[in-house]
Amino acid sequence: MASEHLSVQAYDSIVLATITKERLMDPPVIAALGEDLLKLVDRYPRMSLVLDLSAVNYLSSAFIGKLIALFKSIAANKGRMAIAGAKPSLMPLFQITRLDKIIQFEPEAEKAILFYKRKPL
Amino acid sequence: MPLPLTVLVDEPPELPTVLWQRTVPSRLELKAELMEQIAAVLTDHGLLSEDDGPWLALCLDEAIVNGMLHGNEADETVPLQLTIGVRDRRWLIRIDDQGDGFTPDDVPDQEDTDSLLLEHGRGIRLMREWLDELCYYRRGSTIIMGRDARH
Repeated sequence: MASEHLSVQAYDSIVLATITKERLMDPPVIAALGEDLLKLVDRYPRMSLVLDLSAVNYLSSAFIGKLIALFKSIAANKGRMAIAGAKPSLMPLFQITRLDKIIQFEPEAEKAILFYKRKPL
Repeated sequence: MPLPLTVLVDEPPELPTVLWQRTVPSRLELKAELMEQIAAVLTDHGLLSEDDGPWLALCLDEAIVNGMLHGNEADETVPLQLTIGVRDRRWLIRIDDQGDGFTPDDVPDQEDTDSLLLEHGRGIRLMREWLDELCYYRRGSTIIMGRDARH
């Protein structure tokens, strides 16, 4: 499964979703991406999602809202979610908004996948 | 410590030493171009460092989207005015919409645990953290934000 700004690979219940767009600022892009991410929950209801943000250099607060919506949907399905590869320049945004208190952050997608493999749901 | 959220009824002050000004229709597709122009002006005047990019983009996105969508209710015939000024080594950006402003009580308190899972309301909180100056005038229809050059 893939869409314009998202590539997805599934390893059983571990799903790696990689955002391929550098700037997540435009409302139509953010809306489409938010929908695509929520569709993942429909397709893989009880998943361990690794969301790779390593290609992202800019994001808006609206995208942070989409991440919260995704987290809530995954949690409601008893899944789990990690964000991987976030640029150091973006980390303060996640810390100030306290996303780092509710979502696991890993420096690389491989580390998050390994963590989920070792601790299956 | 983040800046307080200050919303005044007063008319805003004129910006000192205006570097750039544009008045545009409230069309969101203009946002990216405006953000690029503003970043270029600040960079050309030595007021912006590389690390500032994501933060400036976030602040401008928040202010322009709020002005066009909420203030001007996405009415393309209603103008949004953007001005860059400078005071000493502090850049200042003023954005004027034609709306009625907003009520500070409607902005979620991000320190409140109940707000943690809200899907909106984080933009102003982030702006308060990064900027050195942030004040809303005309009940919120004008924003003036600023930050000192760090280099």
